[in-house]
Amino acid sequence: MLKQIEGSQAVADAVALCRPNVISAYPITPQTHIVEDLATIVAEGRLDTEFLNVESEFAAASVVLGASAAGARTYTATTSQGLLLMTEVLYCIAGMRLPIVLTCANRAISAPLSIWNDHQDSMSIRDSGWIQIHAENNQEAADLHFQAYKIAEKTFLPVMVCMDGFILTHAFEPVDIPDQDKVDDFLPAFRPRATVDPMYPRGLGLFADPRFYMEMRYIIHRAMEKSENTIKEVHEEFNKAFGRKSGGLLKTYKLENADVVIVAMGSVVGTIKDTIDLLEEKGKSVGLLQICSFRPFPRKQVYQLLKDKENIVVVEKALSLGRGGILGSDVRWSFPRTEQTDRKISNFVAGLGGRDITTDDLAAMVERVEKEHVEFDFLGLNRDLILERDL
Amino acid sequence: MEKLPLGLALDLRKVVPYKTGSWRTQMPVHVMQTPPCTFSCPINNDIRGFLRILADKENFVDAWNILTRTNPLPAICGRVCPHPCEEGCNRRDLDYPLAINCAERAVGDYAIDKKLDHRKEHITPRQEKIAIVGSGPAGLSCAFHLAKRGFKVKIFEAEHQPGGMLRWGIPTFRLPREVLDYEINAILKLGIELECNVRVGVNIPMDQLTNEYKAVFLGMGASIGTRIEVPGDDAQGVYSGVEFLKEINSGKQIDLGKDVVIVGGGNTALDCARVAKRLGANTSIVYRRTRVEMPALSEEIDEALEERIMFRYHTNPTQILAEDGKVVGMLCVQMEMKEADASGRARPAAIAGSEKVIPADTIILATGQAVDYEGIELNKRDEKWISTDNYLQTSIPGVFAGGDAVLGLETVSAAIGQGLRAAQNIEDYIAGTLQNTLSRPPVVLSKDLNTIYYETQRRFSKQGLPVHERLKGMKEIYSNFEPEEIVKESDRCLSCGLCFQCNNCLMYCPDNAVNIISGTGKYTFDLDFCKGCGICSKECPCHYIHMTLE
Amino acid sequence: MMKTAVEFDKKNLLASGHRACGGCAQALACRMVLDAAGKNTIACVATGCLEVFSGPYPDPSWRIPFLHSLFENSAAVAAGVEVAYRALKKAPVNVLAMGGDGSTADIGFQCISGMFERGHNVLYVCYDNEAYMNTGVQRSSFTPFGAKTTTTPAGNRFHKKDLPQLAVVHGVPYVATATVDDYHDLQRKVKTALSIHGPKYLHVYAPCPLGWGHAGDMSIAISRLAKETCLFPVYEIKDGKLVSVVKIPVKKPVEEYLKVQGRFRHLFKKGVPTTEVELIQEIANQNIERFNL
Ligand SMILES: Cc1cc2nc3c(=O)[nH]c(=O)nc-3n(C[C@H](O)[C@H](O)[C@H](O)COP(=O)(O)OP(=O)(O)OC[C@H]3O[C@@H](n4cnc5c(N)ncnc54)[C@H](O)[C@@H]3O)c2cc1C
Ligand code: SF4
Ligand code: SF4
Ligand code: SF4
Ligand code: SF4
Repeated sequence: MLKQIEGSQAVADAVALCRPNVISAYPITPQTHIVEDLATIVAEGRLDTEFLNVESEFAAASVVLGASAAGARTYTATTSQGLLLMTEVLYCIAGMRLPIVLTCANRAISAPLSIWNDHQDSMSIRDSGWIQIHAENNQEAADLHFQAYKIAEKTFLPVMVCMDGFILTHAFEPVDIPDQDKVDDFLPAFRPRATVDPMYPRGLGLFADPRFYMEMRYIIHRAMEKSENTIKEVHEEFNKAFGRKSGGLLKTYKLENADVVIVAMGSVVGTIKDTIDLLEEKGKSVGLLQICSFRPFPRKQVYQLLKDKENIVVVEKALSLGRGGILGSDVRWSFPRTEQTDRKISNFVAGLGGRDITTDDLAAMVERVEKEHVEFDFLGLNRDLILERDL
Repeated sequence: MEKLPLGLALDLRKVVPYKTGSWRTQMPVHVMQTPPCTFSCPINNDIRGFLRILADKENFVDAWNILTRTNPLPAICGRVCPHPCEEGCNRRDLDYPLAINCAERAVGDYAIDKKLDHRKEHITPRQEKIAIVGSGPAGLSCAFHLAKRGFKVKIFEAEHQPGGMLRWGIPTFRLPREVLDYEINAILKLGIELECNVRVGVNIPMDQLTNEYKAVFLGMGASIGTRIEVPGDDAQGVYSGVEFLKEINSGKQIDLGKDVVIVGGGNTALDCARVAKRLGANTSIVYRRTRVEMPALSEEIDEALEERIMFRYHTNPTQILAEDGKVVGMLCVQMEMKEADASGRARPAAIAGSEKVIPADTIILATGQAVDYEGIELNKRDEKWISTDNYLQTSIPGVFAGGDAVLGLETVSAAIGQGLRAAQNIEDYIAGTLQNTLSRPPVVLSKDLNTIYYETQRRFSKQGLPVHERLKGMKEIYSNFEPEEIVKESDRCLSCGLCFQCNNCLMYCPDNAVNIISGTGKYTFDLDFCKGCGICSKECPCHYIHMTLE
Repeated sequence: MMKTAVEFDKKNLLASGHRACGGCAQALACRMVLDAAGKNTIACVATGCLEVFSGPYPDPSWRIPFLHSLFENSAAVAAGVEVAYRALKKAPVNVLAMGGDGSTADIGFQCISGMFERGHNVLYVCYDNEAYMNTGVQRSSFTPFGAKTTTTPAGNRFHKKDLPQLAVVHGVPYVATATVDDYHDLQRKVKTALSIHGPKYLHVYAPCPLGWGHAGDMSIAISRLAKETCLFPVYEIKDGKLVSVVKIPVKKPVEEYLKVQGRFRHLFKKGVPTTEVELIQEIANQNIERFNL
């Protein structure tokens, strides 16, 4: 049923349709609406679940860890500082192969304090063993949650659905919320592999000495790599069941004959598409490669799609301080070493802490990379504000 | 190698435990030790053993079986033994020693009540014959243990009834004759032949015994009453202690008159006094020294005092006064103590001019006993007692000896103990292995125990007849004890040096390396896992667990 | 003859083969707790000595479900397990959360507070060995006054945090302390706790031979001394009311406790107690008054 609703509401509705057994969260802007809406759904008796308001994100993550280990389907949501506070637990969840689903309403990280959007939060735990999939719009945000559970419970890897804070969470758009029956058909009941159960006593979270630790990390790494297939399969199944192309590893827009290819992820993709259309009217051929699955990073597919492209520019909302772009590096790494030097792969960081990324900004960026190869730069930086001696 | 499970979630039912035993540098071991009670008991009775059976199972039959492995006369010892075992009992450092003597009596009385019989250890009888001279506790004990071992045993007794001093010395209010007769009979029932009215050396020569028997045991006691020489002691109404008691114990009536004076400080003196008191006389005891030096049992002195027997300490007879050949009084002198003599006791000396007369109708000189060596030639010690080697063998090979005749005046239990050891030695002698000596396990002292685990508990105390009742006749002072009380008392035993299943080791081992073998109450150490921390040893209340270096 | 009743539970649910030091009271306490709780129990354990010595792959010592994730979250993880069991409508199970003093009093306290406040049906057991032992004897907020640790080489200047009292003010319906020497009392408290619905807190005193500097065989004796010197009062609080106290009829001077441990040796100069010892005696005196020991 198509509903004109807020992104957070769409996500809450979608999560509820997945029938999690345990939900635990701690309020943080801009995630709050999601859990508030879920709380309402539970309170109204539309969902039979244990909803737990806890004392911190750290506890929320720990509660879902425990609940998942006990065999429950679980859910939590957070952002920014909250995600960082969870970090220790998130690594643990992945290491223990607990198929937990988390929504990250992407937001910048302190200091300075900023409640607005960028991708620094989820980026900072990209190595934790969580699958990270990014939504472009609210429909996709909702749809990714159905898929997230399915992916998680097939791969026994936790899944983080990333959606841009405010830009999506607080935006009202028409979203199709499917019927429960359809969701139930698509998403079978959770069948845990190893739980804490007195009938079958198991040890979870054992410590591994140097004889075993590497293998355990290797296994997770390979499982992450192989989850690409699962993400693709689930995406196709979803497409078949719901008739929508939400999710998957990658998406493209006017890529085929493009002279310049923009690589990006998240909601900025909408603005990029607009820019591409505008530039097309001006006779420029610009295309888009949208990264849906940031982790696992679909390196081979990226290479396949970009190997014939001469001019590539990566725009991203996160930054490895002292090093540069993160997505940019991943894209560069997608090419075999010998081929990297043959082409221009430019990299821009944009929209940090909620700074708008406009079509003008993007058009200027395209113009610039047509002229020169930009190893790394900031887009839309107001240099007038910067005191030289602080640099 | 096992493949790593998903998320390292391991099925705990499949775990093969890691063996921590290799960390150990010291190892716990169970060491059964001798408790000091057993060590101090002249018979080395398994006191801990019989008390535990009483406490845990309330089983008087088994308790009797345990006791009679060493002591065939528990009902007797339970009445007359001065119980040095209690002196040694570790519990004295916690509150009061166990009332072992009472428990022993209760077990003995139970056997009498239930008419229990001894069993032989050797089913197949042995052909060797052994002669026992004297049927006092030493002779009876030796005969009993030899008979249990299957030997053919014959006792020669000079008197017309068996028992020695048990019958002729100790008065019936302390040792009823039914008790004596029962325990002697139970011994004889093992197939021991008893021939009374035969004085060896007089009625049959020693040579005959040594020829006819594989071995001989002499338990002749010290049956002759020796008196100190006091001028006038040939008067009528002067007896030796032994003589007097024998008369009384044979059922003879003696006219004591109004005042009876007893000279001496030993058990015989006390018994004479108590008997005289019961016969209605004014009784006093004359002794050179003080109570502390009296060789008599402290308990018996207490009872005598209760019975209003007068004690004249520091008093020594100098002359017995007679009229018409009949005693009328005794002239005594006051003594004072001088520095200790060779025996360690202060030496008394007369105070000049302190003489005074004590009126007396009868005077009993209970001042000593001696062995009757008539017709028996042996090496002697101090010219008085039979001399033996470490194996209780006398100067005649194959002739062993024990009891008062060897030890000097001692106790019933000492005589039984020697009878037991002589029996063991005779067995070895016959087997030709006399030189082998058994080493006893070490004695566990109270400092070795972890007394924290024991509760203080009231000690059992026996209640005697009120004095006026006692003095009415020769009734036994203490009637039989309530079995429940004895069971309760037995539970006070700390079980020094032997596990009593407290489960401390089981519960306190941090490595679960102590296991209980189900149904047996026995514990084992699992050395695959024991780290040798020593907790079990430290927390074992009774010091049954020791740590030894690997 | 024995002072204590001989009733006990011994199931070895924390089995042999753990890597605790010889004489470790924590290993002992944990086994006693598990055995009292029984097989229908899930243990959520914080990182620390206990977890490290009992939970190595592939031969952990746990024979009941064991769940470890981090140092500071065992209470929250246990809360998760508890709600999951409720949500999945599974047969009821005892949920235990446990940790050492560091994970309880310091880093994990927030999660414990949250678990208490939300009223989870979880028994939290703290094994108090009075310092961070796993990392090599550093001070925690349960380290007693005067004790030497590697981070308080001159002796700890602070006083032990009173966590049982904090539990009480959280409205926890059952709060108790116990020692390993009295296993009957300890196991009874575990059972009492598990019979009560809601959060429970059990504080078990656990001597550490390595960290405290005493011989392994002294662990039980030192537990007892802590009680007898009134430095570790053993009591039970139900619904905010003190319902039982282990009385100490013969109170020993704290010296007897301090002298047998290396961590307090600096409090005696050539065997003569320094003024710190008086201050520690004062702590005992306060306990005597407060609990009417
Ligand atoms: C009055 C009195 C009270 C006592 N009270 C106690 C007491 O309360 N507690 C205690 O422990 N001890 C007591 N004693 C000591 C105790 O009775 C003796 O230590 C013990 O009886 C010694 O035992 P025995 O077998 O060596 O000798 P005895 O008991 O003296 O027995 C020796 C036996 O050998 C016989 N005999 C001797 N020579 C021959 C021979 N040539 N041929 C055949 N038979 C012979 C004797 O007739 C006698 O029957 C008391 C002693 C007396 C006298
Ligand atoms: S015989 Fe005497 S010493 Fe031996 S147990 Fe009996 S009372 Fe004690
Ligand atoms: S306590 Fe028992 S075993 Fe120990 S000395 Fe006394 S009677 Fe013997
Ligand atoms: S308590 Fe256990 S580990 Fe320690 S020495 Fe005894 S059996 Fe060995
Ligand atoms: S500790 Fe108790 S159970 Fe263990 S050996 Fe000692 S007495 Fe026996």
